[in-house]
Amino acid sequence: MNLVFNEDQLDALREFMNVSIGAATASLADLLDAFGTMHIPKIEICNAHELASKIEATIDTNSMYYTTKQLFTGKFGGECIFLIREDSATNLGKHLYSIVTPSSEEINDAVIELTNILTSTIVSRLTQELGTQVQFFVPYLHLSDAHSIVDEEEISEYSKIIIISTILDFQDQQINGNIYILTKDEAIESLKVLIDEKIEEIYG
Amino acid sequence: MLKVLVVDDSKIARMGVIKSLKEIAPDVELFQATNGLEAVEMYEKERPQVVFLDLTMPVMDGYEALKRIIEIDKEAQVIVVSADIQSEAKLRVLVAGAKNMYPKPINHEIMMHIFENDLLL
Repeated sequence: MNLVFNEDQLDALREFMNVSIGAATASLADLLDAFGTMHIPKIEICNAHELASKIEATIDTNSMYYTTKQLFTGKFGGECIFLIREDSATNLGKHLYSIVTPSSEEINDAVIELTNILTSTIVSRLTQELGTQVQFFVPYLHLSDAHSIVDEEEISEYSKIIIISTILDFQDQQINGNIYILTKDEAIESLKVLIDEKIEEIYG
Repeated sequence: MLKVLVVDDSKIARMGVIKSLKEIAPDVELFQATNGLEAVEMYEKERPQVVFLDLTMPVMDGYEALKRIIEIDKEAQVIVVSADIQSEAKLRVLVAGAKNMYPKPINHEIMMHIFENDLLL
């Protein structure tokens, strides 16, 4: 199985992701009545056992994080992970519900609400760009330290994982988070085929 | 011949703009830049009549590049093409001097609209 992406394929995937993040940022900007700064997405292929260290390298490992995971299936199947630091999640609760001290239940609700919009918009738009469709599973949320985000058992069935990551960044509200889209093995092959079709369409 | 500068860090995004552009104006002289700084330098050197500019780019983003291009030439015709579809992003670039802003990807109909409504050629 050839899991290596060439430069054109990586460029195209990054651009499709960029468009998808743009759509998600606009939806969240409406929800928060705020302006979000967009960041260039990063794409990396790693071995499954390296995933935890890759994620830890991008976050503050001394903090607690609300982690939401949502699986999706289809020709391009995988998992979307959204991480938001505890203080940022509290700011989200304050801002979304216009209250000074949100309860943990209100923070949970706010994070779930944000994640639902975020992951469904990103993945739906990405798959729309790729000309395919996916089905979503119900997301689940937990609060954990930075070293417990990845469940080794969950990823044991994976060999290679492609990580597409970017940052959610609403600076004025001090709300930010990290988004990772993980897909594996057969899905990576399918993804390459879909990308090649789009490249052919545009380059002619 | 119409000189057009296409600015985007993504090759496929540049190709998408160029494909639609050539359907409308097959005989353009094309210049390409992969970040805002390259765009400003190329604008100063080549003085294209039209610039298609992305916003989210490395080295120098499109907001800064737009500001600098307008400083060089306040009549510059810059069309922003971005994945950022927030209404405030559009407001910011229009205030900064862009002729208009469109969401990615650009297709034939949008390019036609740009030529008919936004550009003075």
